[in-house]
Amino acid sequence: MNMEIREVMSVLKQHRGDAIVVCALGTASSQWWNATRCEETLYMTGGMGFSASIALGIALSIPEAPVWEINCDGSLCMNLGGLLTEAQQAPKNLKHFVIDNEVYQTLDRPMPMVNQHHSDYAGIARAAGMRNAITINRVEDFKQKMQEIAAAPEHYFTVLKVEPMRDYPPVPPYDYEGHEMKYRFARNLEKKWGRQVFGPRGY
Amino acid sequence: MDIAALIHAELTKCRVTLAASLPDDWVAPLIRRVDADPAITHVRVARESETIGICTGAFLAGTNSVAIMGTTGLHCTVGEMMAINLRHGIPLFIICSLRGTPEDYQIYQEQQGRRTFPMLNAYDIPYVILEKPDDIPRIPDVYNHCRLQKRPYLLFLSRRLLKAGQVQ
Repeated sequence: MNMEIREVMSVLKQHRGDAIVVCALGTASSQWWNATRCEETLYMTGGMGFSASIALGIALSIPEAPVWEINCDGSLCMNLGGLLTEAQQAPKNLKHFVIDNEVYQTLDRPMPMVNQHHSDYAGIARAAGMRNAITINRVEDFKQKMQEIAAAPEHYFTVLKVEPMRDYPPVPPYDYEGHEMKYRFARNLEKKWGRQVFGPRGY
Repeated sequence: MDIAALIHAELTKCRVTLAASLPDDWVAPLIRRVDADPAITHVRVARESETIGICTGAFLAGTNSVAIMGTTGLHCTVGEMMAINLRHGIPLFIICSLRGTPEDYQIYQEQQGRRTFPMLNAYDIPYVILEKPDDIPRIPDVYNHCRLQKRPYLLFLSRRLLKAGQVQ
């Protein structure tokens, strides 16, 4: 039996600290919002597969900031080549989590992931050159390991095996999107990390 | 005349400190210049769509960036530009070779020559073409215009411009 996604989000929430978070669309975004209401998070509603690229761009731009990517298996598979790019850069401040439920969850009735039950994403990541690429199935193990992952002064790639949800919400639960998502997220980065994203006239 | 060096100098004026690229042979000299600049973090990608995400992340973190690619790669990035940059109003500065023009003799660029501008017009993505070396100093204004437009913005390098670099 794998973990429940609510357990996973609870553990992540406990350890976030100051981390800037980028969530893939679907399960990662919906469940992180439900667990945290965190506005230092970019919640994706499109661009499936490329939230990890956004997180990489942020991590390279603010090396002093911890940056978390909360990805999903469906999104990861849309951009598996990105693992090569991420492995080459391997920013020490970037922790990449993959919620792996082996289904396309956001459909009315979930459908199986491509190559369901046979894909070892941590194995793919290691083969791409990532030194710290692991899979966790049990919440006790995750609780124990998470402190080490969050504090590690090096890049980490962690696959979190979870059960599919039975009560997945039909629409994203967060109540803002689009341009407001950009402004809220980036204004928070400006305040916390002293970066100037927008000029004096707001663009 | 080193066209890549002139473009690189203008990118420096734009305070670009991050570049994400995947080469075609026309933009390769510029990518080599950027890669050799210690002031620029250069990210080599496996597919051009990654540059869209990486440069978007850089923008959201207050870093000036550039994506560099060929025309074929540009056609691979459209879905990401629509869902990420157009949807959120996020500027994205792209330098791209202008393939498929009458000066391009490669048969495999023919469709790119026919489809690129109609595609950009359909998505309301602005572009500027650099045709000659005297156009290169326009880059900072174009970069600023990209910020104002809050969307992807193409700077095309024409064959004519790149050929000018071969004449000493």
